[in-house]
Amino acid sequence: MEQVIMGNHAVSYGVQLSRVHVIAAYPITPQTQIVEMLSEFCADGLLDAKFIKVESEHSAMAAVIGASSAGVRSFTATSGHGLALMHEMLHWAAGARLPIVLANVNRAMGPGWSVWTEQSDSLAQRDTGWLQFYCETNQEVVDTVIQSFKIAETVLMPVMLVLDAFVLSHTQEPVDIPDQEAVDAFLPPYIPKVRLQPGEGHAFGGLVAPDNYMELRYKMQKAMDEAVGVTKQVGAEFGKAFGRNYDVLERYRMDDAEIALVTCSSITSTSRVVVDELRAVGEKVGLVKMRMFRPFPFEAVRQALSGVEKAAIIDRNISFGQGGVFASEIKAALYDSPQQPVVFPFIIGLGGRDVTPESIRGIVRHVQEHDRPEGEIIWREVRR
Amino acid sequence: MSDTIVFESEEQMPHLPMSVGTTLYNKTGSWRYVRPVYRNRTSPCNHVCPAGEDIVDYLGLVKHGQYEAALRRILEENPFPGVCGRVCPHPCESECNRAQLGGAIAIHAVERFLADLPQARQLPRLEASAPSGASVAVIGSGPAGLSCAYQLARRGYEVTVFEAAPHLGGLMRLGIPSYRLPREVLDKEIEAIAALGVEMRTGMRLGDNLRWEDLQQYPAVLVAIGQHVSRRLNVPGEDRQGVLPGLDFLRRVNLGERVSVGPRVAVIGGGNTAMDAARSALRLGAAQVRVLYRRSRHEMPAVADEVQETEQEGIQIEFLTAPVKVLSNGSAVCKLQCVRMRLGAPDESGRRRPEPISGSEFTLEVDTVITALGQETNLDLVADRMECAHGLLVSSNAAEASPLGEGAWRKGLFVAGDAATGYGTVAHAVGSGKRAALAIDRYLRGEALDGFPALGDPVRVAARDVDPTVVRFEDLNLAYFEEETPTLQGQRPAAERVGDFDEVNLGFAPDQAGREAERCFSCGTCNECDTCWLYCPDVCILHRDGSGYEINYDYCKGCGICAQECPRVAITMEEELKWNK
Repeated sequence: MEQVIMGNHAVSYGVQLSRVHVIAAYPITPQTQIVEMLSEFCADGLLDAKFIKVESEHSAMAAVIGASSAGVRSFTATSGHGLALMHEMLHWAAGARLPIVLANVNRAMGPGWSVWTEQSDSLAQRDTGWLQFYCETNQEVVDTVIQSFKIAETVLMPVMLVLDAFVLSHTQEPVDIPDQEAVDAFLPPYIPKVRLQPGEGHAFGGLVAPDNYMELRYKMQKAMDEAVGVTKQVGAEFGKAFGRNYDVLERYRMDDAEIALVTCSSITSTSRVVVDELRAVGEKVGLVKMRMFRPFPFEAVRQALSGVEKAAIIDRNISFGQGGVFASEIKAALYDSPQQPVVFPFIIGLGGRDVTPESIRGIVRHVQEHDRPEGEIIWREVRR
Repeated sequence: MSDTIVFESEEQMPHLPMSVGTTLYNKTGSWRYVRPVYRNRTSPCNHVCPAGEDIVDYLGLVKHGQYEAALRRILEENPFPGVCGRVCPHPCESECNRAQLGGAIAIHAVERFLADLPQARQLPRLEASAPSGASVAVIGSGPAGLSCAYQLARRGYEVTVFEAAPHLGGLMRLGIPSYRLPREVLDKEIEAIAALGVEMRTGMRLGDNLRWEDLQQYPAVLVAIGQHVSRRLNVPGEDRQGVLPGLDFLRRVNLGERVSVGPRVAVIGGGNTAMDAARSALRLGAAQVRVLYRRSRHEMPAVADEVQETEQEGIQIEFLTAPVKVLSNGSAVCKLQCVRMRLGAPDESGRRRPEPISGSEFTLEVDTVITALGQETNLDLVADRMECAHGLLVSSNAAEASPLGEGAWRKGLFVAGDAATGYGTVAHAVGSGKRAALAIDRYLRGEALDGFPALGDPVRVAARDVDPTVVRFEDLNLAYFEEETPTLQGQRPAAERVGDFDEVNLGFAPDQAGREAERCFSCGTCNECDTCWLYCPDVCILHRDGSGYEINYDYCKGCGICAQECPRVAITMEEELKWNK
């Protein structure tokens, strides 16, 4: 059923279709509408779930950890500072191998206080053991929620799906909302391997001495390794069932491309327009959209950029003292590649500043005019 | 703990840290330095109830529909719930913490509801503590005398009540009109006391046909003769025909005598007797009734509900007005000269002293003046040379003080009720009579009275172990309570009720009583709301068989969340050192 909905509601519909049993969340701009709609679904009997009101995001994650430990499908959503407050519990969810799904609406961190989009909040959580998917459109949002549960429950690692503040969260787009029956066939009920239950005495998450701790970490990394293949497989299955294919990344007009734009989130859509324009005038420019950031899809990135002369990495984030996070990770991935493009690490659009087609054209012109980047960061549109 | 598990292969490794067995061996209670203890505190209603009722406890029973158990809880302390549920000025409601979140619980209406339950009343007896042959004489059958008689009788004492009037009940019968307190309600409650074996002798007036010599056979005597002397107006002309002392007027009306009032009636005073006199005069056919009060509404001693009902019935209250002279036409009253007052500096009672405004005199046309300025007791018979300590009348000089004129004047003479305290409410008298009963019981069993609660302090027969700290509104965990408005009992419309002496208030139906009990915060008293049970992160709070909770101190870490969350401050955290001594 096609509807015109905002990204936040696309999350809510995805959660409803996934038949989640426990939702615990604390409202924060720009995420609030996600949980508002879910609480209404619960109140109106449209979703058979327990909605737990909590006093903070830390508690929200603690509550879904409890619910997931008890063996039910669990969900939460947050943004920016809320995600930061969850940090400790994010480690816990991953270490306990709980297939929780979290929707994070990208929001810049304060101060200066901001509610607008930037990837720094989610990228700061990259080492917590959560899978991360960045969504380009509202359609991708609803589809990714459903796929996330399947991936999480297969590899037993939690999944964070990410969408831009306002550009997606509050912007209405036509979205094809899948049928419940089809989703039920795609996503069967979650059957936990172990779960908390009365009458069976086990301690979960207790003390682990140096004798065994490292093995648990080894298993987590194995699960992350496995997650790359699982994501491809689930994305393909989803394509079969719903007609929309998903992969860990997407190559757009990359055949014979000399310059590759590497983007993620909604900047991708803007860049597609510019790539089409430039291709129309014969310029060999293509685009690589990063969908999965964790686990990092090394092999896919190497393949996608193989044969390209120059890669323009567009980061809407900054790791202070280092640079754009995507650029640094892509450069690391390319170290072992026999064919290394020259990497141009752009930072643009922090704190939700608009990234327009002209911004992207400027980036392409910059790459065309330079043989090598002039530093570790190429700042764009900074008034200085 | 010390067993090392070595995994031979990846497949053997678990995917998450989960113990094979339980961790019950780890008694985390040893980490605790403070422990939660269920320790009920005092609710403001219980703190101020002059009759010493355990209000918070019986509201809890009402909430669960256990009406008879709730009534029994009241009857432990007060044999007059039907009376008090109707006429008590309910200080409990003035103090009620609920008043700050919607309105005080209508405690009096719940009490009345319980008292009016259709089941035949059987007052609860106690294990007999009376020494054999111990008998007590009670002088006066008002609420103090009968409360004392009841508490003694249920302990096995032989009690004889001597009443000067031809009817039992004291001011409950003589002072309170039947539209507030129907006679059958009073009769039923007195009959229940008599049914315990209390002998009631009417028409026996001390100093008249009842002599002190007659009382010598009683090892203890309670004097509970109340206050029957109306205070005088002290203005010229007050002895004219047509000027009636309020208590005399009410007594005659309440005994069913034919009392006539003129068409224009002025009642002087601002207390409940003034309201009762004014409303009775209206019911006797007066065309116009005014109440004159020398202070303002704020200082009125009458209960606000009574004042409201009085005004609803068309009675005008003239505030800041005092009479200066009663004028008569021949022998009958025709006019009342008055003066307007203003409030000056506070007097010894703490209320602002009214002062006449010179030149503000005016005259009212009146046919009947009723004075209701308060009443006094007459202790001439016993107290002119005696003094009161611990509610026990003690002689400063035993030989001289004896009304018998003998050196061996008895010990064991007690006093209670308005004669001792002058509080002027049924509830205070009930409390005072109960206190006297407990004192007499001790005295007759040869125990000292040192340390006995002071005169005027409420005492409880069935006391729970409760911390005396009073729970105030700000102590409650307000996250658990929402504003909820009270349920009011129905009333007959004013135009209808002024035509007769039938009851004005219509009482509660069970669902209304339940709704009020439901609103009760249960300040300081655990009502098993399960908040602690729900919150305990260590699953250390367990439902006890029967009622309440127990704490598993083997594992309780003393985090204090239960005490912090308890909506009603019924859990305290106490230092572990104190418990380990």
